Amino acid sequence: MKAIEELVSILTRLPGLGRKSALRIAYALLRADLSFSETLAERIRTLRTSVHFCSVCGSYTETDPCEVCSDPGRDRTVVCVVEQPQDVITIEASHEYRGLYHVLGGLLSPLDGIGPDKLAIRPLLARIRNAAHTSQPIREVVIATNPTIEGDTTALYLKKALEQEHVTITRLATGIPVGGDLEYADRLTLARSFRGRTPL
Amino acid sequence: MPFEQVHIASFRNIAECDIPLGASRVFLLGENGQGKTNFLEALYVLCYASSFRTHADRDLLMHGSDAFLLRADWKDSFDAPFMDRMSLLYRAGEKKEVRLGDKILTDRKELVAHNPAVVFCHEDFGFAAGEPEERRFFFDQCAGMLWNEYIDILRSYKRVLKHRNAALKSGEEELLASLDIQFTRFGMDLMQTRARLAVLFHEHFPQFYDQVARLGTRVNIDYRPSWSLDSTFDQILAYLAEHRARDLELKTSLSGPHRDRWVFVHEERNFAAYASTGQLRLASLVLRIVQAYLFAQAEEKRTGKRRYPLLLLDDVLLELDGSKRKRFFELLPDPSESVQAVFTFLPEEPWRDYADRSTMVLRVEHGRFTREESI
Ligand SMILES: [Zn+2]
Repeated sequence: MKAIEELVSILTRLPGLGRKSALRIAYALLRADLSFSETLAERIRTLRTSVHFCSVCGSYTETDPCEVCSDPGRDRTVVCVVEQPQDVITIEASHEYRGLYHVLGGLLSPLDGIGPDKLAIRPLLARIRNAAHTSQPIREVVIATNPTIEGDTTALYLKKALEQEHVTITRLATGIPVGGDLEYADRLTLARSFRGRTPL
Repeated sequence: MPFEQVHIASFRNIAECDIPLGASRVFLLGENGQGKTNFLEALYVLCYASSFRTHADRDLLMHGSDAFLLRADWKDSFDAPFMDRMSLLYRAGEKKEVRLGDKILTDRKELVAHNPAVVFCHEDFGFAAGEPEERRFFFDQCAGMLWNEYIDILRSYKRVLKHRNAALKSGEEELLASLDIQFTRFGMDLMQTRARLAVLFHEHFPQFYDQVARLGTRVNIDYRPSWSLDSTFDQILAYLAEHRARDLELKTSLSGPHRDRWVFVHEERNFAAYASTGQLRLASLVLRIVQAYLFAQAEEKRTGKRRYPLLLLDDVLLELDGSKRKRFFELLPDPSESVQAVFTFLPEEPWRDYADRSTMVLRVEHGRFTREESI
């Protein structure tokens, strides 16, 4: 049937969804109440308009600046640099970190044509320089990119790029397996990494 | 570890077979094109989950078939009761499923040390007579077999090299400083491991080679790294910075372990430049023997027990004359050491000269195997 086929083909474009699972979703939707489908459609439709990027740190938010950036209780002297907005959610779930964030929006990868200009590196520099003249200057930048080749390249590049600023640069300590993903690091490992971060 | 039993279904020209293999030496006799090499290939795929003849798994499918299955039981040694099962199922268009016991494997690397194999095949000639790249391939394979972590370092190095070359191509100079740090770090690790390997080859290669070749003078294999072996991390970084303009100009990394060379040396000259084809063929065979010995030696150090890789010899004896053949056979590890070796022969070859009562002889015809009962 064309309607089912079309739904399946669009669903399988989502990560982790194969044809089998997509078909099961399609059949479940056919069986469910109409109101369920309508709510689901509405939620999907409004997702992109209600969630956007925080203008300060670049993570997902419904308010601007985001909850973390506007929370007066956070330590504004520490900034944790991550690859993706979802990394902020992962680290927040560990309840181990009380500083601010900065989302790069990717990693340096010359092979894929991703150079420093395609990442939020200049905004990070601007943040550090602007904060320098306030009562709470940024003293530490924690680099939390994954320990992959590209994550390391990015960390090394940032270290050099921030050389002239008066900040300490640290890297999340080991514990996350090499080649591993922040997203899959369990809370305990992540907590240990934060406590044991090392100067880069 | 020796194979005890092998099951093959829809693999190349082998429709289906169940073969008991519990012998130290297995001879496959048959005319060309009957399936001898296909059988060796199946054993190799059971060891490494990939072939030595092709990168495309679909090439391994029997004509008209859309799936193949390989399964093997092996033992720690011929008299050990312990058995391990490995299976590999491939369906066209899907990822192959490799199981070790009940566990599904996700990285081929896990297999490299588990039940390694060494193939002696015609293409190995390139290790002696071919481009430096072919020799690097051989020694990288050896190092990965001896030190599992080498595989990760090599993968990382190659990835950084690709990034570095891409940055050189697009002229992104500001990235090179960070890339050079990684390039040097992984490169030095590679270089130091290769140097360790060179020491091991020095200990065995000249003696083994001369045992068969009887040149009377030593042929050795030298490791000649692109960067100087005794330079420090900072010295290499400085070297890269100094030569960056040239790298940028030619848009590629002109130095580094991807340019390392391995050279056969005889009386202080490059042996490959004047050696005969026969001498070079023998050199490539001896490289393989040394590889197998070094693995057994490393296993002994690690576990207290000598353990050889499976030896697969595809028609290579054909290339040696009678007396060298005999001496080459003497170089192979003794059957009493729980080593399993599978040889292919043409029916008219004097295979009986190398067989004894324990040798298992299989005749191969149209992908079918029949056991020769009395030899
Ligand atoms: Zn924010």
